[in-house]
Amino acid sequence: MIRRVASFALVAVMALSAADWEWNLPPGFPRPVVPPENQMSVAKAELGRYLFYDVRLSVNGQQSCASCHRQELAFTDGLARAKGTTGELHPRSSMSLVNVAYVPSLTWANPAMDKLEEQALVPMFGTDPVELGLKGQEERVLDSLRKAEVYQRLFSAAFPGDPRPIRMDTIANAIAAFQRTIISARSPYDRYRYGGDESALSEAAQRGEKLFFSGEKAGCSQCHGGWNFSGSVRYAGGQKVESEFHNTGLYDTYRAPNTGIQEHTGKAADSGKFRAPTLRNIAVTAPYMHDGSIATLSEVIEHYARGGRSSANPLKSSILHPLSLSPRDKMDLIEFLQSLTEEELLKDPRWSNPWR
Amino acid sequence: MKLGRLCPALLLMAAAIMGQEAAPSVRVTGAVKQALALTADDLGKMPRASVKTDSDGIAIVYEGVWLHDVLKRAGVPMGTDLRGKALASYVLAEAEDGYQVLFSLGELDPEFIDNQILLADTANGRPLFGSQGRFRLVAPKEKRGARSVRMLTRLDVVMLRK
Repeated sequence: MIRRVASFALVAVMALSAADWEWNLPPGFPRPVVPPENQMSVAKAELGRYLFYDVRLSVNGQQSCASCHRQELAFTDGLARAKGTTGELHPRSSMSLVNVAYVPSLTWANPAMDKLEEQALVPMFGTDPVELGLKGQEERVLDSLRKAEVYQRLFSAAFPGDPRPIRMDTIANAIAAFQRTIISARSPYDRYRYGGDESALSEAAQRGEKLFFSGEKAGCSQCHGGWNFSGSVRYAGGQKVESEFHNTGLYDTYRAPNTGIQEHTGKAADSGKFRAPTLRNIAVTAPYMHDGSIATLSEVIEHYARGGRSSANPLKSSILHPLSLSPRDKMDLIEFLQSLTEEELLKDPRWSNPWR
Repeated sequence: MKLGRLCPALLLMAAAIMGQEAAPSVRVTGAVKQALALTADDLGKMPRASVKTDSDGIAIVYEGVWLHDVLKRAGVPMGTDLRGKALASYVLAEAEDGYQVLFSLGELDPEFIDNQILLADTANGRPLFGSQGRFRLVAPKEKRGARSVRMLTRLDVVMLRK
């Protein structure tokens, strides 16, 4: 009986703490899916922010999640390939975390990875490649966090009723909750398209929008469609859709470790297929593609205008074909892509480093 | 002297004519009894209809005129008139950028199938604009959006059997 009352009280406290969360999204904008076992709360998102920026979560005490996911770069790192604590280069480029709460698959090339709570552990404990390098360091890290007064307070607030809340699973849950809050829905383009402000976009950007969504002219939206410019999204109350992966003809042959989803599916036809990331804030996330092999937006557009820089890959997506774009068309497309940058997001204190 | 007075007046008239851009329209052409060029004003005077769509979680209510009503107005056989050779006819929907899709007349006629294909001119109460074009088709019952043609400019009716 006592246990039943206690568990009832715990559920009540959890419900209470979850109830204080508000997404504060523009009217009509869908809410993200939140796993029932990791409900949102102000305290949990705040704890996640502290952890996200905490260099104690690295073997060299110098890096954190934010080292490869820098707010001012829309939570990317400006590098072609991310660099871990041991200097090891990741085979792929650091992905933006903007609107990550909505994407069906989180990474470049693993269709099965769809839980932020699981993915948060990969950079911490992964060994191939080593990123934050915490494998074997779990107890040392937990000890250092448990000794920090700020964390005693933050964890208790984030996980009320939990007698010993500073654990790896709660760390991952809090970081995941923080990541779900990084939502971009207020770019100039959003104001133009959804907010009734037709002056929010220049004429060039408006021409670029028409090209972007034209299947005949540029066809960008065939992979980067929808309001997130990433293809299908998951949202509260929606269907559980899957990500699509595309071979964009970067190479004649895609070699390990960058074989795309083939690494996970084992199917030869999946070689070179990577996820189409969101294009929100794309102007600040150079260099581009899964391996950072294209330096500028202008060169990305040249790549697609040629129908992919590789002409010999038989697995190249049939969506790609040479495009007839004038120099003005290309500039218009860039102007449109720049309208997807939400400047406020790049400096909003809700997502900034709390340790500074 | 007369010329001096006339020229400014002519220039003003020419400027007025050039300044008046023709209102955007959807043309209905081809094997029709009455070719049409329908503006938003014209569509506003026809029987209005609306459909609700869900675009990745963003709800949009499109308003406009059922495509079969547009075709009927152009004299295209619909309902009991859609029989015999007319059933081997189709509508080619064309967009400003050259994109084209086609529908057979049968799949546009509610007496054959309840397909609910709308020629839309507003979304959530606002005139369509930008990449949507001033007019578009909306086919909410279709699983893929590829025939919900944006930037619609023309509906060309083709009769294969004369």
